[in-house]
Amino acid sequence: MKYSNYFKSVLVAILISLPLSVKANDVTIVLSEELDIVDPCEASRSNIGRVIAQNVSETITELVPGKGLQPRLAESWEDQGNGTWRFNLRKGVLFSDGSAFDAEDVAHSLKRIKSDQLSCEIGIKYFGGIEISTNIIDAHTIDITANPAQPILPLLMSVVTAMRSTEPMDKYVNSPVGTGPYTFDQYLRGMQINLSANTNYWGGSSAVKSAKYIFRSDSSVRAAMVSTGEADIATNIALQDATNAGTDFSYPNSETLYLRVDNEVAPTNDVRIRRALNHAVDREAFIGTILANGTIPATGMTPPSTIGYNHDLRPFSFDPKKAKELIAQAKADGVPVEKEIRLIGRTNNFANVQETMEALQAMLQDVGFNVKLEMYEVAEWLDLYSKPYAADRGPIIVEAMHDNANGDPVFSMFFKYATGGAQSGRDDLKLDKMIADATAATGAKREAMWKNTMAYIHDEAVIDILLFHMVGFSRVNERLDFIPTIKTNSELQLSQISFK
Amino acid sequence: MTNFLIKRAVTSALSLFILVVLVFFLIRLTGDPASLFLPLDASEEAKEKFRDLNGLNDPILHQFFQYFSDLIRLDFGISLRRAEPAIDSVLRGFKWTLQLAAITMSLVASLAIIIGSIAAFRVGGFFDRIVTFFSLIGASAPDFWIAIVAIVVFSVGLGWLPTSGTGTVFHWVLPISVLFIRPFGLILQVVRGSMLNVLSAGYIKTARAKGVKDTAIVFVHGLRNAMLPVITVIGDQAAGILNGAVIVETIFGFPGVGKLMIDSILQRDFAVVLASIIITAVAIFVMNILIDIIYAILDPRIRY
Repeated sequence: MKYSNYFKSVLVAILISLPLSVKANDVTIVLSEELDIVDPCEASRSNIGRVIAQNVSETITELVPGKGLQPRLAESWEDQGNGTWRFNLRKGVLFSDGSAFDAEDVAHSLKRIKSDQLSCEIGIKYFGGIEISTNIIDAHTIDITANPAQPILPLLMSVVTAMRSTEPMDKYVNSPVGTGPYTFDQYLRGMQINLSANTNYWGGSSAVKSAKYIFRSDSSVRAAMVSTGEADIATNIALQDATNAGTDFSYPNSETLYLRVDNEVAPTNDVRIRRALNHAVDREAFIGTILANGTIPATGMTPPSTIGYNHDLRPFSFDPKKAKELIAQAKADGVPVEKEIRLIGRTNNFANVQETMEALQAMLQDVGFNVKLEMYEVAEWLDLYSKPYAADRGPIIVEAMHDNANGDPVFSMFFKYATGGAQSGRDDLKLDKMIADATAATGAKREAMWKNTMAYIHDEAVIDILLFHMVGFSRVNERLDFIPTIKTNSELQLSQISFK
Repeated sequence: MTNFLIKRAVTSALSLFILVVLVFFLIRLTGDPASLFLPLDASEEAKEKFRDLNGLNDPILHQFFQYFSDLIRLDFGISLRRAEPAIDSVLRGFKWTLQLAAITMSLVASLAIIIGSIAAFRVGGFFDRIVTFFSLIGASAPDFWIAIVAIVVFSVGLGWLPTSGTGTVFHWVLPISVLFIRPFGLILQVVRGSMLNVLSAGYIKTARAKGVKDTAIVFVHGLRNAMLPVITVIGDQAAGILNGAVIVETIFGFPGVGKLMIDSILQRDFAVVLASIIITAVAIFVMNILIDIIYAILDPRIRY
């Protein structure tokens, strides 16, 4: 072969291998972790939800930030009493394979999320301890009964993804078929997921015609991919990588950072000690330094947009003098204030967690607490954070971040504060009753009861050290018209993206 | 040679068995997969169901014998996280890692041998000093730093190469370059040192006295005898990459077996951890056998 031919061949080979140019209506989204499974019954997991929820599989109702609960596959719903709610389903909805969506599919989806042969997160997280039965009135009307009765059943239905009644009860699906605006085309494991516009979609067409999801675990690489035009949206950008004001959006990410204090072991079983712990922390010092600007000091376990969030509460002031006085008072009454307190942190829980924990340790030590910091990987941390607790555990404070993007404190309060709650540090019959009553209430009464409960937790019982409502960062390509919201932490609706 | 290979296979299989037994029991001491897989709010009842469903409530010895009886039939179990056969996940990742290792080590070996030999032949000269300086930097520079700097310079700054991924030949340039630097520096130093010893041997002086050309002295007479320690280090470095180039896989988004193994350990996905270990161990065993064969070819005095 002549040299000129040889070079021509090489040139052609290189040109063939060049990346194809991005089409105007396509988007590439780079996520921080690969999806291990893609079954819609796991769509409450944030990494799965960002691909599947409302893109491929739609929920029965939908919680929209700023608007509250909205219709999605159900057009309306009414309380029938005795724990039963009637849902009137949207007519003319088709799955992406062309089959019709009806009440049978809703009944099957509810049964499937509770299947013993699967471990669907939606069933375990939102319907644990609740028996669900259904009664199909007609193809587009279904009665759903919860036992015990759930006043927020329509809200719970905002996490239930509709699947075909033919989907197996004992196996996760690898290629989900939904009613959403996009079809799940392909999953090249480890590499990418492809979605394209669903021509059968009941809600009309969207600007984005196809989407590619890729996975990069390094934040700086994700950010760089948007800068170079290789991707359009990069989620979970670290604070130090969010350097471009034109493309990097911060938004409340529905996570609340707090220190769970053991209320049952001395010295932290004394309310004066818990107050002192709170007064020892200079919350403002973290913001704009090791935590992002926009981070909000917390007075409740749920984000401020949740119903029943008590906006009248004020964070504990940073007052080392007062903290020392409270410790001295407790000491005078025989409380063993010198006892070593283990401060437990979780490695890689959020950007700068190590620095945050070291700062907290220093602040607590400054007012006289004997605090020892221990950082653990997630499995060991879980053993310390969740029940059953070790009987000889000693005083322990555990750092944790809690996510509630579902609009109601019920998804948080029992687990974090009730006597039987898996991560509760307190046995308190009064609080148990407050949580139970608020859970059963509806409307304005429910909102008021949650406010009272939050006031009791924060001001009266001082159960834990509430720290911050956190913010997340996403980098968005300038060609897109898209602003991330609090929901971006759990879903990323392609139909809400348009092009400039 | 056949006897040697059989003996080597038996000892390697025994080592592998002990390794798998240790990992099987030790990883089960590190945490409950049910707590990691299920949401934090999962009830104890839900966790029990999960453990029952996945055989985690069976007595540990029963789990062990069940695992080995399945393994004999080449059934490596099901991944808890991915709901697919563990071996499918591992082989899919191993394919990428093997390609990375093969391309990188081919480039490293050929360039390090040529440049290291020339540097040794002109020891103390300008070329030798430059090569020694840069190879020492390469051997000691941290992978993650080089990788990030490479992306910032060549992808974001100059726009010459994609940041990450596997789609085209251009996607492979940065990961292979980053993987290349450290073993290249190390092997080049070994080649240089080994060649210096060989080039001072009597038979080389004789060859020079007889007027044999420099290239023949270096690459025919010298190199063959200098290669034994070099082959050992090449094997060692290749084994390191086969075990997973975790940093490069993580930063450049290569879906290799190294990242898969780390993720599986963190998620307590026992079946994938064990399958990864078995597959990489077998690959390293095969590579070591090949190295032994190359020893025998290079030095006829070696008899097995």
